[in-house]
Formats: sequence, C-alpha cells, structure tokens
Amino acid sequence: MQTRAHAAIAPRPSQLACRDLGVVMARIAVMACIACVAGAAPSAAAATLSPQELLIVGHAVGFMQPPPTAGTVAVVYATGDAASRQDADAIAAEIGTGLQAGSAVLAPKVVDAAALAKGGFAVAIAASGANGPALGAAVRAARILCVTADLAAVGDGFCTMGITAKPRVTIVLNHAAAEAADISFVAAFRMMIREM
Amino acid sequence: MTPFAPPLMAPAKRGLPAHLPGLPLAHAHVLPFAPLLALLPGLPPALPHALPQRLLLALLLALPLALPLALLPGLATLAHAQTVDYGALEATFGEPVTTSVTGKPQRATDAPANIEIITRDDIRRSGATTIPDVLRFVTGLDVRDYGLGSADVGIRGYNQAANPHLMVLVDGRQVYMVDYGRIIWAAIPVQLDEIRQIEVIKGPNSALYGFNAVGGVINIITYDPLKDKLDTATARAGTQSYLGGSAVGTGQIGNTAALRLSAGGFNARDFPAGPLSPADRASRQPPYDGNINADSRWQITPFVEAFGDVSAGENRLSDQEPPGVFGTERLSTYAVRFGVAADTALGSLGLSVTANSARVEIGEVNAALPVTVGEAQSSTVIQASDLVKLGLHHTLRFGLEFRKDADDSGFLTGGTISDQIAAVSLMWDWEITPSVTLTDAVRVDALQLHHAGILLPGTGLTNAQYDDTTLTEPSFNSGLVWKASDDDTFRVTLARGVQLPTLLQYGLSLRSTALVPPTVFLGSPDLNPAIVWNAELDYDRSLPPLDSVLRNAVFVQQTDDVVAWPFGTPLAAVQRGTPIFDSRNVGNTDAAGAEVELKGQNAAGFRWQASYALVATSDHTVLDAGPVPTSIVEYAHSTPNNVVIGGIGYSRDRLELDLLARWQSSYLDFRVNPQRTGLVAVNIDNYVTMTARVGYRLTDTLTLALTAQQFAQDQLVETAGPPVQRQIIASLTVRL
Repeated sequence: MQTRAHAAIAPRPSQLACRDLGVVMARIAVMACIACVAGAAPSAAAATLSPQELLIVGHAVGFMQPPPTAGTVAVVYATGDAASRQDADAIAAEIGTGLQAGSAVLAPKVVDAAALAKGGFAVAIAASGANGPALGAAVRAARILCVTADLAAVGDGFCTMGITAKPRVTIVLNHAAAEAADISFVAAFRMMIREM
Repeated sequence: MTPFAPPLMAPAKRGLPAHLPGLPLAHAHVLPFAPLLALLPGLPPALPHALPQRLLLALLLALPLALPLALLPGLATLAHAQTVDYGALEATFGEPVTTSVTGKPQRATDAPANIEIITRDDIRRSGATTIPDVLRFVTGLDVRDYGLGSADVGIRGYNQAANPHLMVLVDGRQVYMVDYGRIIWAAIPVQLDEIRQIEVIKGPNSALYGFNAVGGVINIITYDPLKDKLDTATARAGTQSYLGGSAVGTGQIGNTAALRLSAGGFNARDFPAGPLSPADRASRQPPYDGNINADSRWQITPFVEAFGDVSAGENRLSDQEPPGVFGTERLSTYAVRFGVAADTALGSLGLSVTANSARVEIGEVNAALPVTVGEAQSSTVIQASDLVKLGLHHTLRFGLEFRKDADDSGFLTGGTISDQIAAVSLMWDWEITPSVTLTDAVRVDALQLHHAGILLPGTGLTNAQYDDTTLTEPSFNSGLVWKASDDDTFRVTLARGVQLPTLLQYGLSLRSTALVPPTVFLGSPDLNPAIVWNAELDYDRSLPPLDSVLRNAVFVQQTDDVVAWPFGTPLAAVQRGTPIFDSRNVGNTDAAGAEVELKGQNAAGFRWQASYALVATSDHTVLDAGPVPTSIVEYAHSTPNNVVIGGIGYSRDRLELDLLARWQSSYLDFRVNPQRTGLVAVNIDNYVTMTARVGYRLTDTLTLALTAQQFAQDQLVETAGPPVQRQIIASLTVRL
C-alpha cells in the first residue's frame, strides 16, 4: 500500500476521460467479439408432453382460479389412432398415481374426446394426434382446461393452453378458448404467459 | 486551513441531545398512521406548497375505501393468491421470477433491465455470513469492508463510503438510512437462511422506486411464510473470536395464516486498526449485531391477503461517518409494516404502510476527545398500487406513494430536518410481438422540506427557507427487450434517475470548535437533486452445448449536479473570522463501462462463473482543486476500473465444494489525516480476494460447513481503513 498526495498522481479530468474512453471503447469491441460465440440451434417443440412438461402442467393448473380440488386428468387420444393411444398411455404412465396441481392430486384416465362429455374431469391433456376440432368442441362443452405440447393447436383454438419446456419454458394461452370455457388464472400467472 | 473537519472533533464531551432519550419522533413513527393522522386535520402551516400532497392523500385514502367496493360479489373475480408466489412461479418457468424491475411479475430473462438474481443456493455456497460478502462476487459491484460486518456496496463506478446511490429493500420495504442515504447492511433485519433470492438491478430505476435508486436497486426477497415452511438454525464460530448464529421458524394455520420468526447476530473481535489515526484507532470497539424479525401473512378471503411484519435490531460496528473518518457507530433500529393485497376485476391492488426508525450513536471513545453524537432517524412510507393486465398484450401499473423522512439531531442539524414526498407513477408494459416487449415507466416526485429547531446564527439560514423549499422531479425508465431467438435476447434501456440530496446535505448545521479558527459546516435548502442519465445495451446468449449463459452489457451514464457534502467543498464565506462551508452542487460526472459474464452448471455437478467488468469514470467538478484532497467525491479515481471474478464449484451426493475469487485493479481511497485538516489519498493496490467453502450434509437435516474468507493472505488492504484479515468460520446448520 502506498500513501501519497492526491494531487501528484491525479491526471487532469479531461485527459483521463479521453484516455479511459478510448480504452473502454477498445475493450467493448473485444467483448462484442466474444459475444458472438455461437450456440446450438433451438430444437423444435415436441408434439407430446415430456415428463418435465407434465410437471409444468401441474403447476399451471395450480394457478387456475379457483384451482381444482379434486377430479381426474383426462389424457385424450384421437379415436382410431393407435399411435395417439400409445402416446396417451405413456403420458398416463408418466403421471402415475396422480398429477400434483396446487394442493390437489389428479389421477389420470386415458379417454377419447367423446368421453369428456361424461364429466368428472378437471383437466384434459391432449396426446399427440388428438388435437383437432373434435377435442376443441369437447373441452368447450365440458368447460375444462385443455393442455397440449402443440402450440399451433392452441392458435387454432383446438386446445386452451400450450406448454413446451425446451429450449425454455413457453406457456401460451388461447384467451378466447379460455373465456369460452369459463377458465381463468391468477393475475401474476397471466402476466407471465403469452396470450393470444 | 483546509475545510475538512469532521463533526466528531468537537472538543467537549457531548451526550445525546436532550430530545433523544425520549425519542418522541422515533416513537411517533413506529405508529405507522401517525404521520397520516397528522396530515388529516390540515397540512401543517410549514407546508404552504403542499397541495399535491392533499391530492395524493385523498387518493391514498380513496384507494382502501375503494378496495372493499372492488371486492363486492360480482365485481371481484375469484383468486387464491395475492402476493406473488415466487416458489410456484419459479418451479413453473424454470428460472427465478422477479417483480423488482417493473412491479410486474416476470422471468428474470424477460425483465427490461440488467438484473442479476442470486439464489438461495448461491448464497449458501458462497459461505457468506453477510449480504455484502455475497455481493462481492457479483459482476459490476464493488464492496468496501471497514471491519467485521461493516461494508459499503457500490454499483458500476460509484464506489464510495456511505454510498447514497443505492436503493435496498427487503420484500419491497426500503431500508436505507436517511442521514447520508446510506445502507447499514448489518442492520437489515433479515437472516441469510430466510432469503429466497437477492435481486440486483444495475442502473437507475427511479421510475419505480423514486429518489436514490440511481446506481441500482437491491431487493432482498424472503420466503413467504404462508407458502414456504422454513425451520432452520445455524451456529457459527471462527477466527477473530467470531461467534454467531441465526434461527428461523415458521408456524402455519392451514392455508389461512402464517408467521415466520427469525433472529440472529454475532459478536467478534474486529480486524486490526492498521493505518488509522490515533483518534480513529481509539474509537474502534468490538463489533456485535443482533436482529429479530416477525413476518406474518393472512389469507383473509380466497382473493385478499394481508401481511404485517415487525423488526428490531441492535448493533455496534466500525463505520465511516462522516466519510473518511473511521469510527464506531451504535445503531438501534425498529420497523413495522402492514398491508393488504387483493386480486380484483380492477387488477391486483396493493396498499402498504411502513415505518422505519433508527437511533444512531456515533461514538469516538478517546480520552482526549470523548464525543458521542446522536441522531434519531425515521421514515414513513405509504404506498398504493394497481397492477392490471389490459387485453392480451398490455400491463399497466399505477402507483401512489407518500413518504416522510426525518433526521433529528441537535448537534448535527440544530433540530429536525425532514421532508415529505408525494409521488405518482405509471408503468406500461406492451408485448408488441411475441418476441418484442416495450416497457415504459414514468414517475413524478414532489418534495417539501421542513426544518424545526435552532439553526446556527449568522449563517443566513432560517427555518422559513427550508419550509419554502419544494421541488418536483420526473424520472423515467424505458426498456425494449427483443428475444431474437430462444437463445438470444437483446435489451436496450434508457433512464433518467433522480438522486435527492440526503437530509444532512440539506440540513447540516454544525459548528466545529475543534478547528482553529472554529469552522461552520452547513447544508443547503437550495440544492438541486443530481440527475442521472443512463443508456445501456445488453445481449444475453444461452449456450446449451456449454450449459452456460453468456451475458454482455455496455452502458454510458452521466450525472448532472453532483451533490457534495460540505466537508471538502470550496469555501463559501468567512463571517467574523469563521470559515463557512456548505453542501452544494459541484458539477457532473460521466461513466462508461462494459461487462461480460459466463455462468453455468451441468448435470455432473459442476458449476462455474467468470466475468470481467470495466468502468471508467470522469469527474468535472469544482472539488479537489488544491494540492491536498479535501473531498471523497472523486469518482474518477475511487473506483477500480477493472474487475475479474471467477468461481468454480462441485456438488456430489452430500458434498459441496466452492471457490470464488475476485481480482480488482488499483484505486484511490481516502481517510482523514491525523491532524484532521484534510484527507490523505491512499493508493489501494490491485488485489485478489478468495473465498472457499466445503459443505457436507451429515444427515438430511444437518449440514456442516467450513468457510475461509479472504484466505489467500493473512490480511489484505481493501480500503484506506483497517485491513481485512483472513477469516475461517465453521458452521452447523439444522434444517427441518
């Protein structure tokens, strides 16, 4: 450590400003180059819900107002589509005994869209291939939230909410579809998702 | 003779001012409605220009009256959570959530400002025992240690003692001291174990927080007792005879009521006095700190939540007051806040009342010059807001605020200097496209000064001058965020911040008879606030192959009308042989800088961070024109231009290993000379400080940790004051 008179070492402010500004600009340019490091291209959204996305579905359902306190998760497949049915079974298996949604635990049940009319469902999860006019009509009639990994289906109004986890969590809500089904969410959650 | 003469140099022994023992002012402000009630019969005659306050008061009163109406069936929509549920939102979106930037809940990566969020895991792994110890390894921040538990924090080039550029909050409650506008970090009534995250916003944010949020904002977010059950206790022991600990417990009654109690503190032997003058050396006393806090929440209806918290603290710490003098300060703090939040068809309504009070004793325990100076400080803040999403793409936040600050010290201010501030603000967040968001916020603050007491005769200052002083200042923040891809985010921000002169800069009225001839130091009611213009460009890039995020920022800043304390300003006048120095606006200062940070972690348990921060500041002031420095307002030289921070960590099973290092370039710091006639500029050489922690979970509830702070050297010169010693601390944490 050195102790010295301040005036002896202090450059004039104008000199300092010019010199330092030049140094700053040069270093900023170097930093800009560093900033150009390239990363991987984003991956496309999957059409089925991954385990991580199912967890997010549970969280999102917990933000409904009022949140469901009981009921069943309908895992909906497209009638006559074996791949869709297989995906629905996989989703139900992943959910296991129940989907944690707020304080409720919702047991899964694999159904086709027509079965939604029977009632008793708190939420519908669309398996791959299930999105379509039939599902849209069924969830509107049943007045339940429909969740899918196919964001385009949300835009088309077939399903109410789209969720993808990669590369970053994206939640999209079809506002008109939600209103038609009388579904609402807490304000903080609404402010953090994309509504269309 | 040079103008610097700290007030502690008065030769006569002084006890607390006669009005201090009863602390009528402080007690009045512990009752949160007291200032409000005081306004109700009509504004005091001392506030002839306070019409805007009447209007604001009416609005503030109207809002809670409107609240029940909004809650009437048919008007209100049903909601089950009012305050932001940080835990649930973070779990949903996979990243920390903040409301600190705009008042709106948003993901940290979407915020229209440069924000860094320090998580609970970061805090634990840092091994820190204080909040400044955590902040030391944040890019763009500078930490100055004066002793164990005592430090100042600066952001981006304004590294100075008693830094008035920062706004620090705990869950939105402001905790800064109104005398110098400084932060006494140890007096913040929060234990590290109860902190969910620390949010650091770099750059001005006056449009949300008002005066003083010009360098940055640090919002400390604690766990919500209604949603997070936290029961933990930590005991610490270490070198410097350090003994400390904390305990946090939560009680919940179903989902309807909850209370979290926390308490903690330490005592120790302080670092050695090092190069301090005999007077400063004699004033050092062993530090201690203790705080207790109770935080409660009530879910009154499914859509209305009330909250209340109360805290108290006692500490004795090394400090710089006034800047340049290394003394010891004893502080007693009290705070109370309550409020209500509700989700309604009109939006998310919030109303809170906060009262802070502090009793400060600055002691210079010296047989030759025994001095104790006392202050009673208080602030009361009433805030109301409405946050509403309009349509699909617009969010608005309306805010109203009324605050009253007071500093009561017969010795320093000749009575009570106080201000009343009324403010109105509006934030508009517009999602232009799914990838482009524009956020604009404006705020107008109106201030009224008031002085009661006896000002020094012959100085020309009168109480009426203070009572005639009003000012109105707008501030704004604007931010454009463009998410060019899932991995790339660009951010452009522009801000006008307003830094209000501190109450002592306004109201100091001090005659120092320690100097020959006796010298007078004055505040000034004619001061302009400093105006801070800031522009910034940020680029954040996710690097999935590296499991990292690269963050880049460049910024420029100009501060006009820098306000200087009277200790070091040019001579204002000489009256009957008595030199008079006053607080004044001394010119402007510019800063430019850049930051690059790479941070990441992978599934194998490794984590890393590396950053470089550059800042260059130039001053254009009337200060320090002579051969001997007299003022610490010397930003161009008092900030390290280059800082490199690095860190690496590894977790496996029950083991955590972390190492953090910080190198910074040299800078100038100041301390008063032994004769008390000026400052000594001390060149602080570039240095490296390193902290390491080993933590091991003995059982699911018990964790043992060993932390070595500043371990690379026996002692390190970080400021012109006492050196910082190596510190080894062992801790045992129980978490149920």
